[in-house]
Amino acid sequence: MLKLIGAVLVVLAGTMFGFAKASAYARRPRQIRQLIAAFQRLETEMTYGFTPLGEALLHISGQLEPQLAAMFRRAAEPLNAMTGVTAAESWREAVDACWKQTALSSNEREILSQLSFTLGTSDREDQAKHLRLAVDMLKAEEENARDEQRRYEKMWRSLGVLAGAFVVILMY
Amino acid sequence: MKPILSFLPATIRGMIDKLPGHTAAAVEELRIREARSLEIVAGGESRFVAPDGTLADDPRAGYKPTRDDCLKLIDLLTNHSLYTFEEELRRGYITVAGGHRVGLAGKTVLERGEVKHIRDVASFNIRIARELIGVGRPLLPAIWDEAAGNVHQTLIVSPPRQGKTTLVRDLARLASAGGDTGTAGMRAGLRVGIVDERSEIAACVKGVPTFDVGPRTDVLDGCPKAEGMMMMIRSMSPDVLVVDEIGRPEDAAALQEALHAGVRVVATAHGRGVEDVRERPVMRRLLEERMFSRIVELSRSRRGESRCIVWDASGRKMAELAQERRREPGMVPC
Repeated sequence: MLKLIGAVLVVLAGTMFGFAKASAYARRPRQIRQLIAAFQRLETEMTYGFTPLGEALLHISGQLEPQLAAMFRRAAEPLNAMTGVTAAESWREAVDACWKQTALSSNEREILSQLSFTLGTSDREDQAKHLRLAVDMLKAEEENARDEQRRYEKMWRSLGVLAGAFVVILMY
Repeated sequence: MKPILSFLPATIRGMIDKLPGHTAAAVEELRIREARSLEIVAGGESRFVAPDGTLADDPRAGYKPTRDDCLKLIDLLTNHSLYTFEEELRRGYITVAGGHRVGLAGKTVLERGEVKHIRDVASFNIRIARELIGVGRPLLPAIWDEAAGNVHQTLIVSPPRQGKTTLVRDLARLASAGGDTGTAGMRAGLRVGIVDERSEIAACVKGVPTFDVGPRTDVLDGCPKAEGMMMMIRSMSPDVLVVDEIGRPEDAAALQEALHAGVRVVATAHGRGVEDVRERPVMRRLLEERMFSRIVELSRSRRGESRCIVWDASGRKMAELAQERRREPGMVPC
């Protein structure tokens, strides 16, 4: 009886693990998509709205998934509070702190930290250029992420159940 | 000094924080130049700030701001949004919250022969704005037109850094507030319109003045003077228009317009004296046409004493006022 309960638990754990992995593959392209939209909005806010960076980041955070929104809010707060932190420092700090909670990979992280060097420190044209560059790079990553999603999402889902079942078979 | 501190990068802020109290209270300008000594102008005297916060006369002893300091400073001054200050960068100065003006110099970028903006900003001149409530009070009777129940068309002339802007700000406040100002025939306050091209007079933050410019005052912030004067006349029906630093041909046209609309103007212009101003073609025309019925020459002696001489349109001396530069209690130290 105890063995049976154990077996059920093992299969359950395997399934859960597989689903968690699979959902990370599903989340990554979605979050990249959101980042792209966020940067495109940031470009509009900068070039047409003349919105200060802190305010713009805060506006944008309202339309993002909770994990990404937290990152944008965290970057915006020191800027709006005038604490003497530069935009680059604040942005990098936010990326570092909120990284773990998102489904983004180190490639996207690199793109974001590249952006930190120019954020808010040049004229509109230049800002727009850098944001567009980041968007283009993110689009390439999105393609990648979708590819991986197609390949691995289903695989992990079944792999979890199968691995659980495999362990159970070994147990008996 | 306090409001400026939040704009400074941590390294420089630490040094300024350590300055002795009386110097900090008298600071007029803070000059930051990349790789050259940090300079401070207090009470009319220029000194250099050493890394430990002491003052030195020797330029070699001063702290040399790094490239990083300058990048941080521009980031903080522009509220992390340089792209919202393009117009200001083209003109070479930005005004930060509190009305403090920061002059900029560095490598300029040209587009079709015109300055597009300043890249690599390497020199900053932070001028600390002071609000001196009541500085205009002694002057007001001299420029008050009792017959019209309004101020005269007034031009205030002085070299930079003598307190022109502080004076017009207070005149705007007095005219707007009305009541007991010690001026005969002045009771009710007037509607005052300020066209604040450089955001120095009223120091608006999001359209709301941070300096006291009086209860009946409307401010057009960041607006070109000529256009702004016309807009004000059409839309806000002011009794008095206050503008800073006139001198371009289109300003003259707008002034004429104001005159014909029955609006009185209090304007300022750069120059050592009336003769100096007369050298400039636009101003000469305005003076010859007797656009201004009162001309105020403002000067400050080495000891910090300020002196006003008031002339009328035909060059007769109307009044001469001298006053000790007030430190306490009217001064609001920054």
